[in-house]
Amino acid sequence: MEKFLDVVIAGLLLGGLYALIAMGMSLQYGVARVLNLAHGEFIMLGALSTWTLYTVFDISPLIAVAICGPITFVLGFLIHRTMFRKLLSSSTNQGIFESTSMLASFGLMYVISNLAFMAWGPEIRGYSYLMDTVSIGGALFGARRLVTLGFALAIGVAFYIFLSRTKIGKAIRAAAQDPATAGLMGVNINMVLAICFGLGAAMAGIAGVLVSMCYPVNAAMGIEYLTVAIIVVVLGGLGSIPGSFIGGFLLGIIGSIVSFIEPGLTVVAYYAIFVILLLVRPKGLLGK
Amino acid sequence: MLEINNLNAFYGSIQVLWDVSLKVNKGEIVALIGSNGAGKSTLVRTVTGLLRATSGSIKFLDHPIENLPSHVISEMGISHIPEGRRLFTDMNVLENLEIGAYPRNAWKNKGKTLEHVFQIFPRLKERGHQLARTLSGGEQQMLAMGRGLMSEPKLCIIDEPSNGLAPMVVLEVFDIIKSLRDQGITILLIEQNVRHTLEISDRAYVLENGRVVMEGDCATCLASEHIKKAYLGL
Ligand SMILES: Nc1ncnc2c1ncn2[C@@H]1O[C@H](COP(=O)(O)OP(=O)(O)O)[C@@H](O)[C@H]1O
Ligand SMILES: [Mg+2]
Repeated sequence: MEKFLDVVIAGLLLGGLYALIAMGMSLQYGVARVLNLAHGEFIMLGALSTWTLYTVFDISPLIAVAICGPITFVLGFLIHRTMFRKLLSSSTNQGIFESTSMLASFGLMYVISNLAFMAWGPEIRGYSYLMDTVSIGGALFGARRLVTLGFALAIGVAFYIFLSRTKIGKAIRAAAQDPATAGLMGVNINMVLAICFGLGAAMAGIAGVLVSMCYPVNAAMGIEYLTVAIIVVVLGGLGSIPGSFIGGFLLGIIGSIVSFIEPGLTVVAYYAIFVILLLVRPKGLLGK
Repeated sequence: MLEINNLNAFYGSIQVLWDVSLKVNKGEIVALIGSNGAGKSTLVRTVTGLLRATSGSIKFLDHPIENLPSHVISEMGISHIPEGRRLFTDMNVLENLEIGAYPRNAWKNKGKTLEHVFQIFPRLKERGHQLARTLSGGEQQMLAMGRGLMSEPKLCIIDEPSNGLAPMVVLEVFDIIKSLRDQGITILLIEQNVRHTLEISDRAYVLENGRVVMEGDCATCLASEHIKKAYLGL
């Protein structure tokens, strides 16, 4: 029983990361209607930048959060302002935009990942930071993982408050439900969509910083996290941000339990969940 | 106030509006009537930037607006209360009203405007924290109109407000529209309920198959044989 609790806590620690990654993707899909296949590359950018900042410039990963977050936000914002906005204005309906934007993001994935290979090479990178352990209920956990969970929770809560309380947050919710009508109300839709895409990219970038604190990273890591993001987003309900948040923790716990029983089966279990969900409940936990 | 000249609009390759011209003067209620599919909604969608006309001009307060995005048109003072209400159904009544006040100037005054809207629609105040989708049809229309007023518009375009409402509620809606005009809001009213509409309006345009086939003051329209036959069932 005590062992079981350890496994669940480990799952929560992993789940926080998944939740953050999936929330970003969900925001990009739920509001901007882009199923962003380059999402993992923003995670990779955050992770490798943090590695460079720490090992070359001696800047702590915690400070890297404050650097990589805004940079990935601006990057995402500009990509939306140029590429996706152009696609949106040339698409005659939402269905067409969803498919062209997904293909465009597929291209973006290759561009970013190749640039990263040029910049960082294929080597696996890692660093040691915050190696202390903390005991929870008798089991020992890395302090850096707790920091990761703390960030994921804080960002989730802050984002919830942002959406429910601020003017722009309300505009985002309105635009997610009915962009044309939000425009009639005076909401600058193109701006809101670019902000959402940027925020999604920033969540990926920050997740990347946190990933680099706990796991080795390299220029090819994006695809692995993209897969997790897609599974969680489907699990939570395509486009549902609370669903992604809960789904992230759920998948983290499932992953932790499976890898406790048989580590080789973790990824298999993820795919199995994905396929079963698509067959049995395609709208996910909180989807409409 | 609003001046539309020789407007042509298409959905894909199908032409829906043919050389439509229409004018709304300050302080008027102008009715736009016509049967289902005539192109009434299409016309107002081109006015508020939801659809681009292929040719023709649209001026609001003497500024050309035919190429402006919806949010700028809303900031200029046109409120479009769309067909089918289009509420933000997952948001509560208060949040819907707040979004209505999104333009910068309206946002500053939103406390005061809200009080005013609650005076016009007292039921919205009682329902403040209820999700929009749990309201009755009549209440939803009231919310759509209240939301449309939150931007302190100079011109309100109201697309089929009485659609799907019980007769009692329809009367209430028309009374409110009349009272808006008395408060200085200019109104372009699209309706299928031709008799009531012509009774409260100053002038009317009749749209058939995407063309304006008749325009004039409402008394004349009410007396017209064509209107009597085609729209009043007499
Ligand atoms: N989104 C659309 N795509 C294609 N055709 C449309 C669309 N909306 C309306 N139409 C067509 O345009 C014509 C005018 O429609 P509409 O402006 O909605 O008429 P009304 O508001 O007078 O009932 C109709 O023939 C309708 O079928
Ligand atoms: Mg219509």
